[in-house]
Amino acid sequence: MSTANNTPIAKVEYTKEKKVGEGTYAVVYLGTKQSTGRQIAVKEIKTSEFKDGLDMSAIREVKYLQEMQHDNVIELIDIFMAYDNLNLVLEFLPTDLEVIIKDKSILFTPADIKSWMLMTLRGVHHCHRNFILHRDLKPNNLLVSPDGIIKVADFGLARAIPAPHENLTSNVVTRWYRAPELLFGARHYTSAIDIWSVGVIFAELMLRIPYLPGQNDVDQMEVTFRALGTPTDKDWPEVSSFNSYNKLQIYPPPSTFELRKRFIAASENALKFMSGMLTMNPVKRWSAIECLESEYFQEMPPPTNPSEIPLPK
Amino acid sequence: MSDTSPLVVTSKENTPAASQKSKIDAAGTEVVATDGTTESEDSNKPLNYNRITDDELYRHSSQYRFWSFSKEHLREKRDMTNKLAVETIEKDLFDFKALNDLTPEELNALDTKAVPLTTEEELKLIDFYAKKVQVISQHLNLPTEIIATSISFFRKFFLENSVMQFDPKNLVHTTVFLACKAENYFISVDSFAKKAKSTRESILKYEFKLLESLKFTLLIHHPYKPLHGFFLDIQNILHGKVDLNYMGQIYDRTKKKITQALLTDAVYLYTPPQITLAVLLIEDEPLITKYLELKFADNDNDDNGNEVKRKKKNSIDLTVLLSVIKECKDVIENLQTVSTEDARKIAAKNYFCQNPKALIQNLKRKQQQAGSSTEPEQKKQRTE
Repeated sequence: MSTANNTPIAKVEYTKEKKVGEGTYAVVYLGTKQSTGRQIAVKEIKTSEFKDGLDMSAIREVKYLQEMQHDNVIELIDIFMAYDNLNLVLEFLPTDLEVIIKDKSILFTPADIKSWMLMTLRGVHHCHRNFILHRDLKPNNLLVSPDGIIKVADFGLARAIPAPHENLTSNVVTRWYRAPELLFGARHYTSAIDIWSVGVIFAELMLRIPYLPGQNDVDQMEVTFRALGTPTDKDWPEVSSFNSYNKLQIYPPPSTFELRKRFIAASENALKFMSGMLTMNPVKRWSAIECLESEYFQEMPPPTNPSEIPLPK
Repeated sequence: MSDTSPLVVTSKENTPAASQKSKIDAAGTEVVATDGTTESEDSNKPLNYNRITDDELYRHSSQYRFWSFSKEHLREKRDMTNKLAVETIEKDLFDFKALNDLTPEELNALDTKAVPLTTEEELKLIDFYAKKVQVISQHLNLPTEIIATSISFFRKFFLENSVMQFDPKNLVHTTVFLACKAENYFISVDSFAKKAKSTRESILKYEFKLLESLKFTLLIHHPYKPLHGFFLDIQNILHGKVDLNYMGQIYDRTKKKITQALLTDAVYLYTPPQITLAVLLIEDEPLITKYLELKFADNDNDDNGNEVKRKKKNSIDLTVLLSVIKECKDVIENLQTVSTEDARKIAAKNYFCQNPKALIQNLKRKQQQAGSSTEPEQKKQRTE
């Protein structure tokens, strides 16, 4: 009866012109949407190679991107099946913040950074108000459109904000951007883990080198606490009850003087903003709303108009 | 950059002049909205600061955009799915009659027994198997939300496809398996197949067809989270007037009944919190009515003379709310279980309309048996 099944849906609407990347579960091509001439990216998920049917990362990506239409979240234009592979048609985004940070020929200003932070936080806030955790924020996943707009991308690790007491895996987020509660192996966490990542990205944008580059998971704790102070029960009740806590070296939190010295170009409000996002205790860490409403965005200089921020050649 | 801030609803007629108090920067990033309210709780915020509401967010969900219908629209949708399948079946039957040299007796059998299903019959078969989906996923000890998602996936598949195109029994395991993955509850297909006494091939065969029929929308807002919210809010609003143990019982019973409600069309016609309130109403009408009255009625004082906190803005009309919930309650209470006997009859009809040849062979076999009564009775044609 069902002859339509398993027949590849011929989509001549989208062409794949150039392979631009290959990840663990997908290959990304540049292409064109034929009817409009719009440039697009096609993420081809190798369904047939996965013995458990549709891949979990692909399912997460489809699930969450379908719910979010926002200027600062990557647009999922279409989905189709061809030759047993699932294909996600995404908007074409030529670069990302990692490329920009590493490209020493590009000079960017505190106002440019402010603009990027604003767009990133708007995207992250949109995820959070839709009860979605991204769980893998890093410069490499903050893509930039030809007109300079930041788009939060790669929802392959995303999940719903958990119910109270729901157990989760702490093995999420790329190491350097991992919040302290994840480093401690917490079984429950909240949207605060994404904000921590944004805080680390903010520091990296100012320094132009990774802020907390741990060599491995143990070293990540060392690097994190040396820079920002080891949390204590006083500001984070019961933090010492985490198993890995006793082995820790206790570092004092950095003085304002030390922070000013490290982040020379940062204003007082910028430092306050950063410290809000890099607060050890996840309960006290700023929410996306607190970040967006902070003084940092209201003081001079105003964020640069995205189309005026320099992009790689 | 777009001038819509994620924090606020920005209406088109909005102009920077409308929010003199706010500092507008070059990129138009300020939080602005125009509804003229002056009730700002925080003096640092612009006069017309207005955060986007949950209702507005819900209207952006795929559940609202793709899977919410009026009663009429839902009916039309089902009729259309049925009509397309019937046309194919009738064409095949016509061809079968034309290509085969049939006796009047055989033609008569075809005309009476090889008849495509009506929308109602399809619906009964879908309901029967949707219940099966529930039973099987309960059997697999899956969490409530995944059971709910399985039911939802299954029923949506058969809004888009006819049981005359896809045998519902072939989709049961596929929907449960995809629901597990969509709810981040990974089980390998082999262990799933083992537990469900199925095969990986049959589980995965229609997986993509299912995803496609779901319009690639996998996030479902179930009424369980609203239940938790109402559970807390009822205790807040009726503080001191309601027994905590009793509330716990209400919670558990309502949770179970919600899963039943997901087998009805309430899910397409009402929002999750409306369904929750309807089920709560079924559970304890006086309590819920009292709660809603205290929460939304126009008296600003409760029995103790305390001021009841109530937002004038976005206030809900209690009469309208109650009538919507009662309608929803009727839809939920209208759920009729389809008997195995009825389902078997419809399944047989479904089988024969797609396989007229089998019907003719059956007929011939019966005639042969009548001719030689000494032969042992043939096994009945299995149609389940």
